[in-house]
Formats: sequence, C-alpha cells, structure tokens
Amino acid sequence: MSAENTKVLYGLYNDEEDLKGAVKTANAAHLDIMDVFTPFPVHGLDPILGLKESRLHYLGFIYGAIGASFGFLAMTWIFTSDWPTMYGGKPYWSVPAFIPITFEMTVLFAAWGMTITFYTICGMWPGVKANSLDLRITDDKFCIAFDVTSASDSTVDNLKGFFKNTQADEVNVKMM
Amino acid sequence: MNLNTQFIFEKKTRTILISGIVLGAVCLGLTFFNDDEYHTRFWTNWLHNSVYFTGIAFMSMFFLSAQITAFAGWNTVVRRVWEAMSQFMWVGLILMGVIVLGVWGHFHHLYHWNNPDVNITDPEAPHFDRVLAGKKSFLNPIWFTVGTVGFLLVWYYWAKNLRQASVDQDTMETSDFKYYKKQRKWAASFLPLCGFLSTVFLWQSVMSIEPHWYSTMFAWYSMVSMWLGAISLTVILIIYLKSLGYLDYVNFNHLHDIGKFLFGISVFWTYLWFDQFMLIWYANNGEETIYFNERMTHYPVLFWGNLLLNFVTPFLILMRNDTKRKFGTMFFVACIVFFGHWWDYFYMIKPGARIAAHEATELAEGKHGGESHSAIAPGSDAKHEMAAVAENHDSASHVESINHDEAAHAGGDTMVSKSESTTMEEPAGGTEHAEGVNHEGEKPVEAEASTEHGGEGHAEGDHKDDSKAFKLGYTIPGLEEIGVMLGFLSLFLFFFFNQLSKVSLVPMRDPYLEESLHHDTGTLIEGEGAGQEHH
Repeated sequence: MSAENTKVLYGLYNDEEDLKGAVKTANAAHLDIMDVFTPFPVHGLDPILGLKESRLHYLGFIYGAIGASFGFLAMTWIFTSDWPTMYGGKPYWSVPAFIPITFEMTVLFAAWGMTITFYTICGMWPGVKANSLDLRITDDKFCIAFDVTSASDSTVDNLKGFFKNTQADEVNVKMM
Repeated sequence: MNLNTQFIFEKKTRTILISGIVLGAVCLGLTFFNDDEYHTRFWTNWLHNSVYFTGIAFMSMFFLSAQITAFAGWNTVVRRVWEAMSQFMWVGLILMGVIVLGVWGHFHHLYHWNNPDVNITDPEAPHFDRVLAGKKSFLNPIWFTVGTVGFLLVWYYWAKNLRQASVDQDTMETSDFKYYKKQRKWAASFLPLCGFLSTVFLWQSVMSIEPHWYSTMFAWYSMVSMWLGAISLTVILIIYLKSLGYLDYVNFNHLHDIGKFLFGISVFWTYLWFDQFMLIWYANNGEETIYFNERMTHYPVLFWGNLLLNFVTPFLILMRNDTKRKFGTMFFVACIVFFGHWWDYFYMIKPGARIAAHEATELAEGKHGGESHSAIAPGSDAKHEMAAVAENHDSASHVESINHDEAAHAGGDTMVSKSESTTMEEPAGGTEHAEGVNHEGEKPVEAEASTEHGGEGHAEGDHKDDSKAFKLGYTIPGLEEIGVMLGFLSLFLFFFFNQLSKVSLVPMRDPYLEESLHHDTGTLIEGEGAGQEHH
C-alpha cells in the first residue's frame, strides 16, 4: 500500500439500523460503496452489501485435516518405530490414547492456520501501522465510505446529498 | 400469517398412530411368546423404549427450562412443542411403573441384584456376592421405586406446572412478565432436580443391569443421549408440523439454532462416550473393562454402529453452515440421530440384560459357576492357561458371570484384594485380574484382548456359550424391535399431538414473542435473501 493516494469520502452514523437503511438507499441509487465499517458485526449487513460467503472455513477444514493426520501419524511413528515405549501394559500403537492429542493437533492447526491466513489476506503483520479512516469507527460510529479519487464534483455533491438524506451524523474527506 | 392457530389432531393421524400402537403391541407380544423362560427380550424391549421415550420427554423439559432460565428469546415460537413433549412423562410414569411392579413381583430378571432364586446378599448363602451385598442399601426394590417412578412424579409435577404457567399466560390482555416470572421459578428450580435426580434414575434403571460394573461418566453420557433424542425428535416434529401448514413463522433461522444444538450436543455426546471408554481402557481394571470387552467382542455391530450413527453422520453432515438451514437435510440427520440414540440405549441395555438372564438361568439350574465355565483348571498350569484364555479373547466375559460365586467357593476373598486374587489357587479371580502385577509379559496381549482387537477372531471360543451367540433382538435389533420402537413412538406422538391440540400453538402473550418472530442468526447463505423476505 503506497501512502495517501486514495481520496475517501465517508459518512458516520450513530446506529446500525440507520446504517443498514442507508446502504439500502445507496443500492437503490446505484452508488458504488467502497466499504462499510462497524465497531461490531452487524447482523444482516452482508447480504445487503452483496458480500459473498467467506471461503476461510474451507481452509479451516483443510488445516484441521492436516493437523489430525500429522498428529496421528507423528504419534504412530514415535511410539512404534522411533522410541517404542510401553505405558501401563498397553500396545505400542494405542489408538485410544492418541485420540485426545490428535484432537488437540486438529484444533491447533485449524486455529493457527485460519488466523495466519486471515492476517495475510488483510495485510496485517506485526509492525503494520493502523490505517484507520476514523478512530471512532472502532468505538461507536458506523461508517459508509466512497472512493472519490477520480470522481467529478457533481458525483461528490451527489454523494454528499445522499449522506444528508440518510441522516448521516458527520461527513468527512480523507486521503489514505 | 395467522399467529394464533390451534393444532387440530385429525382423525386420520389418530388412526395411523393407533395402528402404530397396535403394531408395537403385536411385536411386543411376539417377543413375549417367542422368548426364553424369563421373557428377557420382551422385558428389555419394554425397558429400553420406556427409558428412551420417557427420557425424551424429560429432556424436553430440561431443554425448555435451561432456555427459560437463560432468558432465551429465539425459541418462543416452538416452545409449545417442548411443553407438549414434556407432558409424556405422565405416560412414562406408567411405563416405568410396570418395570417397578416387575421388580417387586419378580416378573422379570433384568436386574441381577433382584434375583429371587438365591439370596446373593446373604453371607451364609452359597452364592454370596460381596459386591452386591455392599451395594444393597442402594440396589433394592425400595430405592428402585423411588429412583424411577418417584423421581418421574417429581419431574412431571414440575413439567405440568411450567406448562400451566405458560398456558395461563395466554389469558392475559397484554404481554408482561407476570407469568414469565412464574415460569422462570419452575424452570430454574427444575434444573438441580433434573441434574441430580436424573443421575440416580439412570443408575437405577439402566446401569444397575450390570450391577458389578460402574462408571461415573455413565449418567452424563446416557442423559446426553436422551437429550439428543429430544432435540432430533423436535426437529422431526417441527418439520412435520410445517408440512401440515402449521408453524409458518418458524423459519430456517430457528432451525439453524436447533441444528447447532444437534451438532454441538452430538459432539458432546461423543466426548462423553470417549471419556468413559478411554478412562476404562487406560485403567484396564477388570471389573470395568468387562463392560466394553463384552460389547466389542460379541456386539461389534452395536458398538461401532453407535459411533457411526451418533458421531460420524451428524458431525460430517452438520459441520457445514448451510446444511443446518435446509429442512430436508435436517430432517434426514434428525431421523438418523433419533434412531441412533435409540440404538445407543439398545447397546446399553441388551447385552447386560442378556447376561443377567443367563446367570439367572444358571443359578436356577444350580450349575452356575461350575462345569460350564471350566475354562481354567486350578493347578500348576494355571498361568499358562490363563495366557491362552487371554488370547482367545474370552477371559473377561467369563469373569462377569462367575466371579461372585466362584469367589464364594474360593473363600469369598477374591473381591477383597487384587494381590490375593492373583494367586493361582483362585482361578476365576485370577482371570479377572490377569492384567495385575504377576504377569508383566502378558500385558500387551491382555490389553489387546480387552480393547483393541476384541471385535475379531472370537467366534471359536464361544460355541459352548449360547448367551454370546448371534441372536436377533440382542446382537442387532430385529424386526420386532423396530416394531416396538414404532409402537412406542406412536404412543408418544399420540400423546404429544393430543397435548399440542389443547392450547394455542404460540404463546401469544409471551414477552419474547417479537424477538422470536424476528430471530435472525445473521448467517449469510448465498441465494437465501429472497427466502428470508418471504418468511
């Protein structure tokens, strides 16, 4: 991300229901929303925005399957060939004893795999500077943002009119 | 969309359900007249279905109480279904009452501790059983009566009052919390009653079929099994009612939440099942492993089928988000899980009751503990033979049937101390504790015999003992068992529809009705938006 070459026009709302109403109005007027920011997940917002279902959980399943196989096969190798050890008179290859650890490995791989994937997609790495439109959208404001970098004045006026009509609390412009 | 509808119990449905009950009665009759001298198959079928369907009613009450206590609002539109289901406990009282009468009158031999032929708790008697003597203060007819019908009476009283508070709510002019608070009192006070008493109920009616065996996980595990029966039957009934045109306002958001319960509790059930199995497998204590050894060796279809039906199927199908929101898929999974937990109770009850009946027969014939079990002769070769027994995978199954009175023959000390029992003079006790300190070298063999490979290669050793052989109605459910299940299900549904038709299908004055009508799980499924508007 190179710095500050996108001009963003955004409006802040006080309530998630106002926001949902405004997004519907924008859809009806065929306005091209860049993004919407909310302090918490708002039920029913995704279908209005036309977002597709995340594919992250497919990866989660694959990571989990890898973790399960890895855990189980690793224990099989360790306890039968690498370092055979007898516990409580059980056979070397004691499947019931492996199950809890297999389960833990499944959870570990799925959780870490999905977290790392998600952070990679979002470009969030240690040391990345928070590039927030407005800090209040992490607190109590609901925001609709438009990309107006190459927009004409009439388009910008049109968008400002939209914010006014939908009772936006505040309208700002920011380079980011 | 008219909210204030009343369910009409049509004559056609009535006729079908009554035919179902008749079918069940005929199948019960078939098992009764075509049975051993104790009518074990008949009585196990009766107990199995009574416990399962009573448990479903009981766990509907629990589910409802837990949700009312937690201020859950999403479920108001389906609350009347659970209320009607919970009222079946009244019928369950009668069904379990028959078992109680059988205990007092010795009509059946489901419970070895209640054997009338020999006084096994009398130290002077030839068949003295030290373990059962120790448990006598709990395993006796009086406690059995209290622990089954007594507790059911208490639960039914609570279920009746909770429903009454909900029905009274309909008479209010406007919604307020007056009757809701009343419901909360009944619901919250039911939870401890449910938690503590269900444990005793299940110990008495199911676990005491194998009175020498015990597991602290058992009540948890079997209670959750009932719960899944209740959840899956709820799904089936909701979808059925919707297909008749009722419950129009119940949409896939409500279904999704019940589906999450069905999925989550199925995983929880597996967790408990595995906990019980692994702790017993790890400790490898003869009097505990006997339970699983018996089932894995002689009932492999029950054992593995249980996991397939109740874990693998719901886990893999309901893992996805959208399968929980499709009526067809949910109906399919609910049918499997409903049958699966019926199967689970079959698995818990049948093998144990078969052993109890076998023991009763042998005791009555006076040959118990003698020739029929002379797999090991006392003497200098005992150690060698013991290994042989361990290898033919049959050691533990002999133990259950002989340990107590062999112990008596050998001086009654076998159960007292493990170190004593491993001395070679006591063959039966020695077998039981063959995994004890004296036989380091044989440990892996023994462990495999009792757990890992118990399912295979056992047939050769079992020809003598017909109580282990394949038999429909024990090894797997026979056609009669399916018929009996349909009969009890029809009885349940008859009572359920009858109760449901008495009041409005929706508690119109419930303070959470609006929340429930507009319930939204916030789940995004492509192409569903239009449907959501429609509902």
